[in-house]
Amino acid sequence: MAKRTIELIVNGDRYELAVDPWRTLANVLREDLRLTGTKVGCAQGDCGACTVLLDGRSISSCLTLAVEAHQREVTTIEGLAPSPDELHPIQEAFVQHGAVQCGYCTPGMVLAAKHLLDNNPAPSEAEIRAGLSGNLCRCTGYNKIVDAIGAAAKKISDTGKEA
Amino acid sequence: MQDKTQEKTKTQVLTREENELARRLRTADKPLTVAGTSIGRRDDPLKVTGKLKYGADYSAEGFLFGKILRSPHAHALIKSINVKKAQELEGVAAVLTAEDLPGRNGFGAIIPDQPVICGDKVRFVGDGVALVAAETETIAHQALKLIEVEYEPLPGIFDPRDAMAEDAPKIHEGGNILSDDKMVKGDVDAGFAEADVILERTYQVPFLEHAYLEPDTTMAIPQPDGVMLIEGPMQAPFTTRRNVAPVLGVPINQVRVRQIHMGGGFGGKEDSPIDLSCRAAVLAQATGRPVKITLEREEVTIQTAKRHPMIMELKVGVKKDGTLTAFQGVIYDEQGAYASLGPKIPPAGGSHVHAMVMMPGPYEIPNVKVDAYLLYTNHPYGGAMRGFGAPQVHIAHEQMMDELAAELGITAVDIREKNAFRLGSQTATGQVLSQSVGLRETLESCADRFKWDERLAATGWVDQAHTKRRGVGVAMGWYRTSIGTNGDGCGAAVHLHEDGSVLLYSGITEMGQGAFTVLPQICAEELGIMPEDVRLVKPDTDLVPESGPTVGSRSTTLMGNAIILAARQVKESLMDTASMMLMVPTERLDAKGRKIYDRENPDKSLDFAAVAARAMAAGKRMIGQGWWTPPVPSLDGHTGQGSPYHVYTYSTHMVQVVVDVETGEVELEDYVAAFDVGKAINPKALEGQIEGGVAMGLGYALMEEVVLVEGVTQNPSLQGYLVPTMLDVPDIQPVILEVTNELGPYGAKGIGEMPNIPATPAIINAIAQASNGRVRRLPADPERIFWAIKEAGGPPQD
Ligand code: FES
Ligand code: FES
Repeated sequence: MAKRTIELIVNGDRYELAVDPWRTLANVLREDLRLTGTKVGCAQGDCGACTVLLDGRSISSCLTLAVEAHQREVTTIEGLAPSPDELHPIQEAFVQHGAVQCGYCTPGMVLAAKHLLDNNPAPSEAEIRAGLSGNLCRCTGYNKIVDAIGAAAKKISDTGKEA
Repeated sequence: MQDKTQEKTKTQVLTREENELARRLRTADKPLTVAGTSIGRRDDPLKVTGKLKYGADYSAEGFLFGKILRSPHAHALIKSINVKKAQELEGVAAVLTAEDLPGRNGFGAIIPDQPVICGDKVRFVGDGVALVAAETETIAHQALKLIEVEYEPLPGIFDPRDAMAEDAPKIHEGGNILSDDKMVKGDVDAGFAEADVILERTYQVPFLEHAYLEPDTTMAIPQPDGVMLIEGPMQAPFTTRRNVAPVLGVPINQVRVRQIHMGGGFGGKEDSPIDLSCRAAVLAQATGRPVKITLEREEVTIQTAKRHPMIMELKVGVKKDGTLTAFQGVIYDEQGAYASLGPKIPPAGGSHVHAMVMMPGPYEIPNVKVDAYLLYTNHPYGGAMRGFGAPQVHIAHEQMMDELAAELGITAVDIREKNAFRLGSQTATGQVLSQSVGLRETLESCADRFKWDERLAATGWVDQAHTKRRGVGVAMGWYRTSIGTNGDGCGAAVHLHEDGSVLLYSGITEMGQGAFTVLPQICAEELGIMPEDVRLVKPDTDLVPESGPTVGSRSTTLMGNAIILAARQVKESLMDTASMMLMVPTERLDAKGRKIYDRENPDKSLDFAAVAARAMAAGKRMIGQGWWTPPVPSLDGHTGQGSPYHVYTYSTHMVQVVVDVETGEVELEDYVAAFDVGKAINPKALEGQIEGGVAMGLGYALMEEVVLVEGVTQNPSLQGYLVPTMLDVPDIQPVILEVTNELGPYGAKGIGEMPNIPATPAIINAIAQASNGRVRRLPADPERIFWAIKEAGGPPQD
């Protein structure tokens, strides 16, 4: 099958790529662009480790074909921090609240949280839990992640600035 | 941490050997400055930005991709195998069968009974019958399809009890009983004669999958000098090396194993890296090229080790006042197709013996008899999973305690209070608990924090319509620190440099539990510097001393001690040097906060770095090497009597649930978990272990099970194998108690596995307390709860 030429806007940068039409976005991000912060835990849409933002919405990049992202904006974990030596408030809160253990779920969790807070800047605990219930973590027991997201929401609204 | 009580045990009764070891460790009685604080995990910033590299993230350019052809049969003879077509496929570099192997065709964490490639027969669905290495993953997949194998199916064994029958088909040459262990104390018949109530119950638990989020991956990279380099996420680099060398037919020093940060392990990445490394290594050796094998999620479930299923038959006698008089147990411990971490490493290593020792629970019982059988079947194999045989038997004894209490009309807390271990208690192996026994304290603090009495009194219907009932549950637990083998030693090295910076060499691996944060903390504490002054050298068998595996909740305690001993050797150089510089005798010197100072005149001090520079210039020893071996374990092979593990962590969990008696659905409302950890080196990391462990125990209680039909895994994906989500986990309040362990670094005991253990029975007990529905075969999914309530004649009517 012939490769297809697509244009991806990833973390603000434009890439033109020739990809096999069956390849997933996760795969192209990780292998062609070497953005390995996007993790693959199941490749079947069950774990959320591969979560990225596509035009601001959180999606499972293992279930999305790269060609579907043609001319659309992709945000991966590498593109979230405002600068190389700063963290996004969500990332900062994850560090401060001990919400990270092995870290394999973390990039996906952080991006799912970003999507949640973009749409609901002051979520209740129940809303956080419902919003991220598609992202599995086997290490932390989740509570510190819930705390971190709550704290990040507060920080973002207090400072009035979203990085 | 909400609650923290410092408690010194006054009446420790250490043995001579323990005393001697404790003396080696003892530090001057000064307050800790670095150990005991919640410093953040060092690599967190790398993880939240996606910069930390896991095995799958390393570029595989120039690599071949390895794949394993798996048996579709649970038990069969291999009649013929034809790889010609696969070999001819363009892009295929090698197709290997058993005949092509250069060395030993077997690997295993304890005994090498698992073929690298099956030659004559297969023993479970997923067994490897051929290996392929190809230029791309797609080609490797295509090649697998071109291999023709002819099997002759054999009858399989899918229930461990069937494995014991005289005429059962033999899975391995030596028969199906891999281990037959006994523990006998006192006289159970006499004990039962004294009892007012005797109950007999059978409890059963299924195979469990670790479901670490990172699928297994391994790279084997041949080096120009002939050395085989293995890289991958793994808990036991040394065990891996010990297996790869004979499989390649080379000496151990020709294999180098480097650990890559793990995306979760929980015991599972003790075994599977051995398997993948051996297979990747033979492919790399055959082709002379680097080979990477990465498992797909379904392969992880089908191929890698699981938590052992067990059928546990208990008969327990108790007096009217709740005093236990006799405990008799039988364990049918299902090993599955291969030995993995099940069998005994004398005297008390291996998961099977551990399960046997733990089976009667943390209670004083004068008469005990346990028969424990470890049995091969044609299922996937049991390995290590957070608790190593202990979670299973806790599910049995903790349910039994509740069933006895109900029969006697006393509360679940009363019966535990009556029998719980205290300092000086004798365990079922006849071991006298000589120190650091905080079990009763955990019960007391847990009940306090949870408000057990009030909550117990308030259980009952939640709604007018009488569909939902609220209830409470409790479970206690104990867990060893160390692994019960004679060779449970652990080495560390500390290299001091002239600018005061330090390199710490340890073979303990990081899987998210925080070892890479806690171990430098201990090193910094001992030297009187800051954790950031210590850089930990990542586990690499060419560089770090043999440290044993990262299992058995042994990292902090055993490695911590090795580090302390190593650090002391360089500290001696520093103190000698400082003594000369300050003209103060060494006994008066202390080190803290990068200063070395005169205790009697703290203003008289020197910078740590200046002393290090002077020590170096004077040719003093700048390298310290520490080796720690815990007290020698003992366990008689016939009677199961002795001291198998030198110290135990203790815990009590309490939980409140609401059960929908019409649907069997359960909601967890509140959770308190109390632990005696000896000493919390990093309270925040500890809290993380607690919350994660409880969540995993919740999964075991309510939803997790690898479903097998005729040996075929029915739910290999994470859609079929359910693990707890954010919606399932309640608020968890940890309570930390510190009853000093004289043989641990700063008094610490292991904690990695303990939180996982009482969680499951606490939840099951709460469901029964709320609804009358007692589920003796896990998981307690809504259907089983529904039927258990029916079987009990319905929920309580009050
Ligand atoms: S990797 Fe995409 S959901 Fe699991
Ligand atoms: S931190 Fe390990 S899976 Fe979430």
